[in-house]
Amino acid sequence: MKIALFEDNQFDALYPLTYLRPVFELRCGSTLLYEKVAAAYPDADLAFFCRDYLAKVFAKRVDGQRVNDLSTVSDTDVLFLNGRILAISDVVPADGKEEVGTKGDAIVYLRATKETVAKAGGATIDELLSNLKASLPNVECEATLIDYPWDLINNNPKAIEHDFTASGKKGIEGSFHEMSCVYGNQDAVYVAPTAEVHPMVVIDTKEGPVTIDEGATIFPHTRIEGPCYIGRDSQIVGGKIREGCSIGPVCRIGGEVEESIVHGYSNKYHDGFLGHAYVCEWVNLGGVTTNSDLKNDYGTVQIYMRGELTDSGSTKVGSFIGDHTKTSIGTFLNTGTVLGCMCNILASGGVLPLKYMPSFTWFFNNKLSKGFGMRQMIDTAKIVTSRRKRELTEDDVAVLEHVNKLTKAERRAMIKKSREQAS
Amino acid sequence: MSDIADRVKQVVAKQLKVDIDRVIDTAEFVKDLGAESLQSIELVASFEDEFDIEMDEDAALSVKNVGDAVTFIEKAIEEQHG
Repeated sequence: MKIALFEDNQFDALYPLTYLRPVFELRCGSTLLYEKVAAAYPDADLAFFCRDYLAKVFAKRVDGQRVNDLSTVSDTDVLFLNGRILAISDVVPADGKEEVGTKGDAIVYLRATKETVAKAGGATIDELLSNLKASLPNVECEATLIDYPWDLINNNPKAIEHDFTASGKKGIEGSFHEMSCVYGNQDAVYVAPTAEVHPMVVIDTKEGPVTIDEGATIFPHTRIEGPCYIGRDSQIVGGKIREGCSIGPVCRIGGEVEESIVHGYSNKYHDGFLGHAYVCEWVNLGGVTTNSDLKNDYGTVQIYMRGELTDSGSTKVGSFIGDHTKTSIGTFLNTGTVLGCMCNILASGGVLPLKYMPSFTWFFNNKLSKGFGMRQMIDTAKIVTSRRKRELTEDDVAVLEHVNKLTKAERRAMIKKSREQAS
Repeated sequence: MSDIADRVKQVVAKQLKVDIDRVIDTAEFVKDLGAESLQSIELVASFEDEFDIEMDEDAALSVKNVGDAVTFIEKAIEEQHG
């Protein structure tokens, strides 16, 4: 049986999180969306279809599996799954009638035999899906699809709980100092064998489970409130990790974090509040960087998406921060701020007066700028990744250059507008 | 002095807050006029605003002195405005 994950046309509603990764590589809970699918269908092989410019880098991250290769769905019956699916409940059965499960305009799943796939044809995954959709019965179905960045945050607590249960791992197998404690359900914690919990740590499981994964270190004067996941080789350097947080691998986190996802390889080492936020990889949040996640009038939060301000419909929405972005000390982000990839904020006091920074822009002296060129930004990125013993490869650079071109027109327009307003 | 050269020097003097007499062709932005990194970025942006041109940041930030900046900008104007 083959499960084929595909990206539909909603990927840009998840920018900036999906500039450098396919939608199914987003994190919700302790694992990535595609990892949940793999766990839900343990007997199936996965095939992946994403935007072409991401195929090579993503293939490396899945151990060289073929990506965007239609031959991977030609030799067996296939369940095509929308890559935005959160496979933690109402899992679509792999076997069943040939049909297309839809939710509004979106294809949630499409089940087809090998013969039907062959007959449908198509030069691309989009063509194949379109042909199949036209030839098979369509049925409305219920499923959780991640439509917008805040959906990841809103679903994170239950995803963490699901992943904890699904892992089957519980108990303290690693180092746990006698001057630390688990407050609450003693079965709702897992400390992996190579994890280390220092003195003066409270792990509060009264509201949900807590996982401290392999190689992670929890330093003194930390309180971790479940549901929470601390990823491989991450360090929590003192602070309050409140409910609903997923900290990916190799992060350095301190201060206060609430209902947020830090994808991996990012730092928020110092004091400052991060709430209802998604932070991509290679981000450094300078000391006291703080984001608002609630308006003073408790109204719904407007967020910049697809070129315009959109009502999120949610009252608790923080910031969404693209890969390689850096904030200076004392950066204050307004409610619902979106920062693209490789942005640089040099704060000069006060809340950032922008709700949106296009990728590859700098903000200083109260206006947007192009900053240093790609060459210098790539050089900086190479230094940053090497500090965590990772290489920024030529393929990674190619992806960044592609996104730079993709965002050029928007960046140019917003810089011009920003400079006109400032003068 | 060409009009472009004159305008370049006015922008430099204003952005770097230096006396216009110091803004000579051989003056280096960093060594002689004390431009810090953020000022250099602002300078490039100011040139773009002044002349309505787009400058490649890598290339523009590699220009070391005022005279070379004038040449760079003249070329950009020629290429982008004909």
